[in-house]
Amino acid sequence: MLSNRRLPDLKIRDLRDDYCEFELSNTDVSMANALRRVMLVEVPTIAVDLVEIEQNTTVLNDEFIAHRLGLIPLVSTAVHHMKGPFDDIGEKDFTDVELSLHVLCTSDDTQDVTSNDFILDHQHPEVYPVGYSDSRMQSEDAERPILIVKMRKNQELKLKAIARKGIGKDHAKWIPVATVTFQHKPQISINRALMDTLDEKVKEAFVDASPSHALSYNSVTKQVEVTETEAYMYDGEYEKMAQELHHPDLITITQSDNEFIFRVEGTGVLSVEDVIITAVDVLTAKLRNLQQALPPPEQNEGEN
Amino acid sequence: MGINAPDRYERFVVPEGLQKISIEKDTKVTNAATFTLQREDHTVGNLVRMQLHRDKEVIFAGYKFPHPLEYHIFIKVQTMGKKSPREAFDDSLSDLIMELDDIRSKFQSEAQQRRDMQH
Repeated sequence: MLSNRRLPDLKIRDLRDDYCEFELSNTDVSMANALRRVMLVEVPTIAVDLVEIEQNTTVLNDEFIAHRLGLIPLVSTAVHHMKGPFDDIGEKDFTDVELSLHVLCTSDDTQDVTSNDFILDHQHPEVYPVGYSDSRMQSEDAERPILIVKMRKNQELKLKAIARKGIGKDHAKWIPVATVTFQHKPQISINRALMDTLDEKVKEAFVDASPSHALSYNSVTKQVEVTETEAYMYDGEYEKMAQELHHPDLITITQSDNEFIFRVEGTGVLSVEDVIITAVDVLTAKLRNLQQALPPPEQNEGEN
Repeated sequence: MGINAPDRYERFVVPEGLQKISIEKDTKVTNAATFTLQREDHTVGNLVRMQLHRDKEVIFAGYKFPHPLEYHIFIKVQTMGKKSPREAFDDSLSDLIMELDDIRSKFQSEAQQRRDMQH
């Protein structure tokens, strides 16, 4: 059978722990968008899901604190060998990570309860709040921890927080990224012949028409050049200016329908590389699962 | 949970007794069928539909996500006849899986290359 598959290309432009920019080409928007959607809400991470409060005499009520705890990003590299509450669970699998917290304010000053006050699960010390440093050995240059609540003298907070595997589709606290976006690569072409008929002053004004500054004026060659194609924001300002100059053909800007620029920003929960790879795996697993679930062909098929 | 709200997990957990996919043949049009995919949304719907459009044997392919609180999609496929809608659907999934494998390995080799350059 002849395959109808596409042969995509991928170029990484920037790859850091918390940021990745790459170009995906020779594929369809549907693929780009599917990847974007999966990265956002179907890549699993770990977040606090259940809170048992033993003592809470702070100014915030139990639910309020429980909600805040849920939103604290937890380093989730352990998620790959963890099971979610809706999976089939074997004997060796683990689903829960138990963090605890106990703070009693004894000083006359206001005291902060932060993500550093968590006591980690000794069975799973690899699950900890992003930027965590043990409160007993705090250094000056440590990242500022996440504030949970402020206390005054004699107030107390004692609780157990159970963290579980989950996906962003369930609750936004499990979303592994700050943002994932893709844009169509812009295609800008200038009508040289027409542009040459324009006055120097007009050319300079034309370049400044759009605040995106995708175009610039080269004062040596006296030409308008496309210098920052991707800075263009599809604001339509160049076309508008061309229209005003009564030369609507001066510039044509279209968006490529098979070249996409992805920008992924992580939260520290997972490395961005991990998020992207996992997203591809999750989508593949989804399609495999569908293929397996497809009912067998009927006997009389092909007759009609 | 709110009193009148469905549980959040209902969006992605296929309830017991429900099939992930079911196929219903069209009674009026030949070589046409509607696939019902449980607990799927635009992610898979649009992806599969666009892949089906690349198949020359496919006359029509469309998907519908009927309501945000009905957690299933419909994919309607009509073929020329050499292939059944089921085969066309199956082929589209295979093609997409191969494409994703490609994306995965390309991303990994690119990432590896960058790491090698840093050392």
